[in-house]
Amino acid sequence: MNVYTFKRTTFDSFLFAYLFCIILAVIVRPTEEQLLNLSFNAGLFFSFLVLGLFLSIGLNKFGITTLGEAIFRAPNKKVNAISRTWYKTLNGWQVFLFVVLTFIVGLHVTNFSLYALLDKESVIPAMKLFREITSPDWNVLPKAIEKMIETIFLAFMATGLAIPVAFVLCFFCAKNIMRHPAAFAVYVVLRAMINICRSVEALVWAIIFSVWVGIGPFAGMLALMIHSCMSLAKLYSEIVEAVNDGPIEGIQSTGANKLQTIWYAIVPQVTLPFISITVDRWDINIRMATIVGFVGGGGIGALLQMYQGQALWPQVGTIIVVIAFVVWFMDTVSAHLREALK
Amino acid sequence: MSESILQVKNLVKTYPNGTQALKGVSFDVKKGEFLVIIGLSGSGKSTLLRCVNRLHDPTSGEILYKGNDISKISGSDVLNLRKDIAMIFQHFNLIPRHSVLSNVLMGRLGHTTTLQSLLGLFSEEDRKSAMRYLSLVGISEKAQMRADNLSGGQQQRVAIARALTQNPSMLLADEPVASLDPATCHTVMDYLRKVNQELGITVIANLHFLSLVRMYATRVIALKGGEKVYEGSPSSIDEAWFEKIYGAGAKEVHIN
Repeated sequence: MNVYTFKRTTFDSFLFAYLFCIILAVIVRPTEEQLLNLSFNAGLFFSFLVLGLFLSIGLNKFGITTLGEAIFRAPNKKVNAISRTWYKTLNGWQVFLFVVLTFIVGLHVTNFSLYALLDKESVIPAMKLFREITSPDWNVLPKAIEKMIETIFLAFMATGLAIPVAFVLCFFCAKNIMRHPAAFAVYVVLRAMINICRSVEALVWAIIFSVWVGIGPFAGMLALMIHSCMSLAKLYSEIVEAVNDGPIEGIQSTGANKLQTIWYAIVPQVTLPFISITVDRWDINIRMATIVGFVGGGGIGALLQMYQGQALWPQVGTIIVVIAFVVWFMDTVSAHLREALK
Repeated sequence: MSESILQVKNLVKTYPNGTQALKGVSFDVKKGEFLVIIGLSGSGKSTLLRCVNRLHDPTSGEILYKGNDISKISGSDVLNLRKDIAMIFQHFNLIPRHSVLSNVLMGRLGHTTTLQSLLGLFSEEDRKSAMRYLSLVGISEKAQMRADNLSGGQQQRVAIARALTQNPSMLLADEPVASLDPATCHTVMDYLRKVNQELGITVIANLHFLSLVRMYATRVIALKGGEKVYEGSPSSIDEAWFEKIYGAGAKEVHIN
């Protein structure tokens, strides 16, 4: 079995299993209690998975193209693929059913209700809140600005402290540098570590650090720093992997060692993209800093959460205006900076 | 002629994907020669050069450089070897954002400690020799310009200056004129001949054009499919040999 068949079969099995499950759900309309019966449901899913596996192999054997085959077709077979109108093919129906059924179930799961959205009883309080938010209380403006400055510094420190760490890490996470078998092992471990840390949201790091160092901007800064380290290291390393090999050979041929080669052949090629990515990260961090404030990360987020908790809507309005202005401003500045650095 | 500087014996290179680039090539290079390797693209010319300065690791066979087998050395021995064997490339392989002078100074990296080179501290002597070699290739007035603002021919001359700054005994040239126009071609080849004759540096070059080979080479080797199919003087490559090397029906292209 080659890699294409493996991908096709795996994809098909999961798609068929999902389709069977969702069709069943639409027909049976399971109760809450039935949904919580994990072992039974898992058993059902795995049975469907096996059924899907056989279906995938069987259908393709009889020349019926499944969606997995259409997507993961081996490159040498791609030329022969005939395109037909979607409703005449199985894979067309697979896409159709997938989208339509997922949408129907999605409406149900998210309690989608136009009634709740437009009912007079619920619209009136919402209108009142909207009116209050749109008439900001400018008395809290000094406080909001003070906290906004704190937030900008928080984002700045998080980005600044993450840069050197990410800069060193990224070379160890670049495949084209870590070719030697021993180095490749380090590469795999580091890559895994970075991906795991990155998948933990900054929000979760903020909760951890607010317990560790106490609620306040320091916790928020640490949370954003960890997240930025990992994100920057990953993005940096992708740029390092895309560098032109010519200059590397050129420098190596002079007898330069590994460190000299990185410094003279790779660093000049990556400096500008690195700066561009870093500016973008600072911009992202300012927006994230307001969010981590909600869970104990300090800055303007903490103030926003306080006013919101007390239902002080005009004050919330002031903060929203300040945040919106700063985000818009940073967005514009960073867009122009990145454009100029291209 | 004088003694051999390089002896390649039965060199085999198989890439990890199974491609056999070199299938047992043997030849000698005498000190002070201008050896040219010809052959079609994919005949193993580039691989051969890169095995000599160990940018690629040979699969088997021997490469004796100045009498020592360098086919299996590793670590700092490889770096020391590369200090003595400079190389220039088809696409010049300069560092675009650095100045011409800084690019030429990079030829001294092998002779500079890591700390000094990270700080960009090259000795006054290094700077002088860099400027000397820049004037040798006739572009000392461009020393402060950014390397990527130069024309192709000028960039290749900077690359030659970088190579010379290494004080090498041998210079490998991997298709040095393949991306240049015919006029610039001769300028660059003339500088390579100057390097060979005036500084006594042995040159091994991969070339495509037979007219250039006849004009500059002292000896020729032809590769085909990873094997040596011809060795001799450039003047004795006739029609029959040409067809053997490049395949029947091939026509010689003249550049003037």
